[in-house]
Amino acid sequence: MSHQEQPDHRPEGGFSTPVGSRRTFFHWVTVAAAAVVGAGLAVPLLGSLISPAFMRRQRAWVDVGPVDELPAGRPTQLDHVTTVRDGWLEATSHKAVWAVKQPQGEVTVFSPICTHLGCGYRWDDAEKKFLCPCHGSSFDVNGQVLGGPAPRPLDRLPAKVEGGRLLVMYQDFKSGLPQSVEL
Amino acid sequence: MPSRLYDWLDSRLNLKSVQRTLLDEPIPGGASWIYVFGSVTLFLFVLQAATGMFLALYYAPTPDHAYDSVRFIETEITFGWFVRGLHHWGASSMVVAIGLHMLQTFLYGAYKKPREVMWMVGVVLFLVVMTFAFTGYLLPWDQTAYWATQIGINMVGTVPLIGDFLSRVLRGGEMLGALTLSRFFAIHVLFLPAILIGGIALHLFVLRRVGPAGPWTDDRASLGSETFAPRQVYMDAVVIAAVFLLVATLAFSIPLPLTDKANPSDTSFVPVPEWYFLFYYELLKYVHGPLEPLATWVLPLCVILIMLWWPFIDRNPVRNPIRRPVALGSGLFFLFVVFGLLGISLKNLYAVPRTDPAVAQGRAIYAQLGCAGCHRIHGEGGAVGPDLSTIGDTRPDRAWHLKHFRDPQSVSPGSFMPKFPLTDQQLNDLTSYMLSLKRAT
Repeated sequence: MSHQEQPDHRPEGGFSTPVGSRRTFFHWVTVAAAAVVGAGLAVPLLGSLISPAFMRRQRAWVDVGPVDELPAGRPTQLDHVTTVRDGWLEATSHKAVWAVKQPQGEVTVFSPICTHLGCGYRWDDAEKKFLCPCHGSSFDVNGQVLGGPAPRPLDRLPAKVEGGRLLVMYQDFKSGLPQSVEL
Repeated sequence: MPSRLYDWLDSRLNLKSVQRTLLDEPIPGGASWIYVFGSVTLFLFVLQAATGMFLALYYAPTPDHAYDSVRFIETEITFGWFVRGLHHWGASSMVVAIGLHMLQTFLYGAYKKPREVMWMVGVVLFLVVMTFAFTGYLLPWDQTAYWATQIGINMVGTVPLIGDFLSRVLRGGEMLGALTLSRFFAIHVLFLPAILIGGIALHLFVLRRVGPAGPWTDDRASLGSETFAPRQVYMDAVVIAAVFLLVATLAFSIPLPLTDKANPSDTSFVPVPEWYFLFYYELLKYVHGPLEPLATWVLPLCVILIMLWWPFIDRNPVRNPIRRPVALGSGLFFLFVVFGLLGISLKNLYAVPRTDPAVAQGRAIYAQLGCAGCHRIHGEGGAVGPDLSTIGDTRPDRAWHLKHFRDPQSVSPGSFMPKFPLTDQQLNDLTSYMLSLKRAT
């Protein structure tokens, strides 16, 4: 006998093997059982695998200090300290943001990262400019580019005043682009 | 039908002969529902391997992070609680499936010549599975895990001469700690799977060399044979799907709350092992003093050796259980002792409300509402409100709690506890949790 015969043969040696519609029934019940188990496992397992891809970083308003103590028109660096969750870890994130109180009293807050390639910049009180030490970009007190390779003004962070306290929400932005794109 | 692909592969790989080898295995006396337990056990191993791999995506085997990572799986990951539930109930089901598989083999005398090696490999596989259970129990690093493992390792320490050395090897030193957790993790996810897969391969290799035993009749010549496929495959598949649905239902409907994070200094905690170790836990209660080593290692070692060597102890060639009164009697006696102890243990434990799902729900509400901001339970939480560690003893009145949660000032004038907008169900669960907080007995 060759290997190529029909599967519903009666094998040599006199074994009984169901044939015809009974065989088809067993086949399809087996397939259905496998499908139930397969789907029942695939959905939760793959769901748990991709789940973190849908988790967004939680942003919170962080109190960075009293508004009264900010000098009008001169940028001040403020500590932005918050607890961030990294999976099951909780870590404290320390950032320093630049705040400028406008003459009318509202506060503009800049991300501390240069829009060119992501260095930290500083305020030069003598030149009245933000200067980036890496590639020489400079910005005015409103964050507009004065010189250097920076492709866009400094990125602004959401800020609000509540009960005399300045609240800031920290964000990261992609560097090197002509427009502000949040990470 | 993907038959063209199959034909294409077959013309190159000669698959049909492999398929015939795998599926046309003759079963003496034909397919039967009683033969499904081996396949079910194999399926449950695959289920454990699959769910375990996905749990390992998030689990961190260090004392600093293990507990938080399991809680992260439980609360933050989509389906994480379900995958953990499948792994938990899959483990229990595997113990049941192996028990039934061994019982069937025993009853049918299928361990007798020429199948002695298959039985012995099977006993080793059973021991490997129990080791899986023991090492896996520590991994969540909660109080139950920590103290149950502490006890398990201390029992090994009662073995004379080498006991102390063995328990140090198990712990990775003097103390149950970081080294214990990382080695239990490595053993659970790397060493044991390798051993188990090798053992399963050997078990199946022997099966294919000697063939399935079939019914216990002496008149072998009159037995017809039936191929493994399709009827036995169908029976296996149906039972496997049913077992899967059962495990999934258990995982879905019974939450597995973690106890508090492992705290080596909290000696008041009373750990309870998994149900499949309960009979043994109960046995240890009855054996004290100089006889204790008898229960901690002499008896288990004897039972294991007898199980392993059973095909050579029972040399009666007859397979029909009616005509094997001694073997059947010893088997029944063994089951009677094990299930008797299990029954007594379960009866004693039933008084403990730790299994009440309302308590677990209540605990979750307690955490969710931030009650720990003011109240303290077993050293955790603020000290503004009363310490609730033993509130179930000091205020056992359910009605009082219900009234108090609705309006704290109505029963406790001057209290500045706020009213919380809770549903009746939540009120009941939170009260159940309060009443469960008792001194350890």
